[in-house]
Amino acid sequence: MSTHFLRLEIIRMLRDPKYLALAVLAPIGFYLLFATLFGGGPVQPGQLKGTVEIMVAMAAYGAIWAVLSTTAPRIAEERQIGWLQQLHAMPLPTSQVLFAKVAASVATALPAIVLVCTTAALLKGVALTPGQWLALTGAMWAGSSVFAALGIAIGYALGADSAYPVSYGLYMAMSAMGGLWVPPAILPSGMASFAHALPTYQLASLGWRIAAGQRPTLSSIAVLAAWGLGLSGVAVLAYRRPGMPVRRRRRPALSTTTLSTTAPSTTAPSTTVPDA
Amino acid sequence: MSLGGVDKNYGPVAAVRELNLQIDRGETVALLGPNGAGKSTTVAVMLGLTAPDAGHVAICGTAPRAAVLRGRIAAMLQDAGFMPGVTVSELLTLGSRLYPHPLGVGETLELAQLSTLARRRVNRLSGGQSQRLRFALAAVANPEVLVLDEPTTALDVTGRAEFWQAMRAYSSTGRTLLFATHYLEEVSENAGRAVVMMGGSVIADGTPEAIRRLAGLSTIRFSLDPDAGARRQLEALPGACDVELSGNRASVRTGDPDTTIRALVASTIAWRNLEVAAPTLDDSFRILTKDPS
Repeated sequence: MSTHFLRLEIIRMLRDPKYLALAVLAPIGFYLLFATLFGGGPVQPGQLKGTVEIMVAMAAYGAIWAVLSTTAPRIAEERQIGWLQQLHAMPLPTSQVLFAKVAASVATALPAIVLVCTTAALLKGVALTPGQWLALTGAMWAGSSVFAALGIAIGYALGADSAYPVSYGLYMAMSAMGGLWVPPAILPSGMASFAHALPTYQLASLGWRIAAGQRPTLSSIAVLAAWGLGLSGVAVLAYRRPGMPVRRRRRPALSTTTLSTTAPSTTAPSTTVPDA
Repeated sequence: MSLGGVDKNYGPVAAVRELNLQIDRGETVALLGPNGAGKSTTVAVMLGLTAPDAGHVAICGTAPRAAVLRGRIAAMLQDAGFMPGVTVSELLTLGSRLYPHPLGVGETLELAQLSTLARRRVNRLSGGQSQRLRFALAAVANPEVLVLDEPTTALDVTGRAEFWQAMRAYSSTGRTLLFATHYLEEVSENAGRAVVMMGGSVIADGTPEAIRRLAGLSTIRFSLDPDAGARRQLEALPGACDVELSGNRASVRTGDPDTTIRALVASTIAWRNLEVAAPTLDDSFRILTKDPS
């Protein structure tokens, strides 16, 4: 295992200001906004305080984007610019490349979760036992790795131009429908059962249960595991899909077999065409 | 390194057909051909980037991927990009950590003339600098076989001269160098052997001079005072196959300039200002690829 490769992957992510802005600062900002607006509502028995519920939702929201944004657009870009092709020609197996990418990507989810929790504890008086804090952070961190599979699938299926907007769109839609934006308790029943099938909801559910002093439900873990496996399958299919943009360039154009001039201007290949 | 009977199809398109190629240690070989001739596919097969549909490939006695893993073969790929957001030396350090017998990072930077750019981010390099980094990323492997796919495409004249200077220094250490190109002047200056590909197969293989002789015609030019019989007289010269007269300037194309000139000297033609132009590789390449008989 090349630790240097993993180290470079992490260095790159820390140098990217977009990561800091969207995955860390935005959830903290939203947390402060929502916790101030809705955090003080009356609590019914069995319900979490708003400041806690929103903390978990925003920690999930940040962690998911940390993982998605460091996989899908990067993989699509690296395919397009030919870096992954270069890596294939070097003594580093694809499995190690992907392992390092997932590890680095999931590592970026940790500060997103921890900083939202720290903000909640310091500014909104959220108090959990040390065991709860640890379990909540650990469970949500582990659960966020499901989104690495989604990121890899998008990264190999789409071109660099579409990977970012598609992953951002999916992220927003799944966050909204998965109860990260509105308390899941107030969703109508049809939407609620749909929400329960989403990994976004189930990731937050891990945290909500732990914050309420309960164990995460088996169905949360099962739904997250199913998404993880299913998306990994899609990622493998996307990776093996013939006619990847990078490979396509190796296919000679039929018309060039009759080419007889050797002027450099006629032979410069066009740059890689991303998938539509 | 040996490739035997290699076929590779992309869908209905045969990129490489029945390719046979044997390259010995220490050779400097140019792989020549127009776009679509199968050069890049051949390189991809040598590196194990793509598996051939038929045939066998051995690099230093092992399968391509094994040779890559052991650092015996390394390539500068035509469309290779770099890990975004890292510096030149960070990237080369990665390369040196991956290979079993690497060149030092400092030494590689020097070889590729990148020492002053070591701390620059890879996405802020110019075309020529990127090209030298691509070379450095292959050279840091310290491989027995170095493969360069269209190495100077993005370079200007100075960049190309500098690039080949570094390359000659590298191959003088006894290592095998294979480069694919469509710049013909690079071939006669930098390769000991030229392999011409067309339509996925090798159509000619020899020294650059032999390739040139195989298809090329020398051109003899001189001045004369043209009279009515001059053209007939010139066409009668042994070896002459194409005569052009324009004003008092004659140009005769011949496959055997020695014989033609001896006959010219012995003739009654009042020639002066004689010039003999060797066939350019460009010409022979054009002839070879037009008519791969």
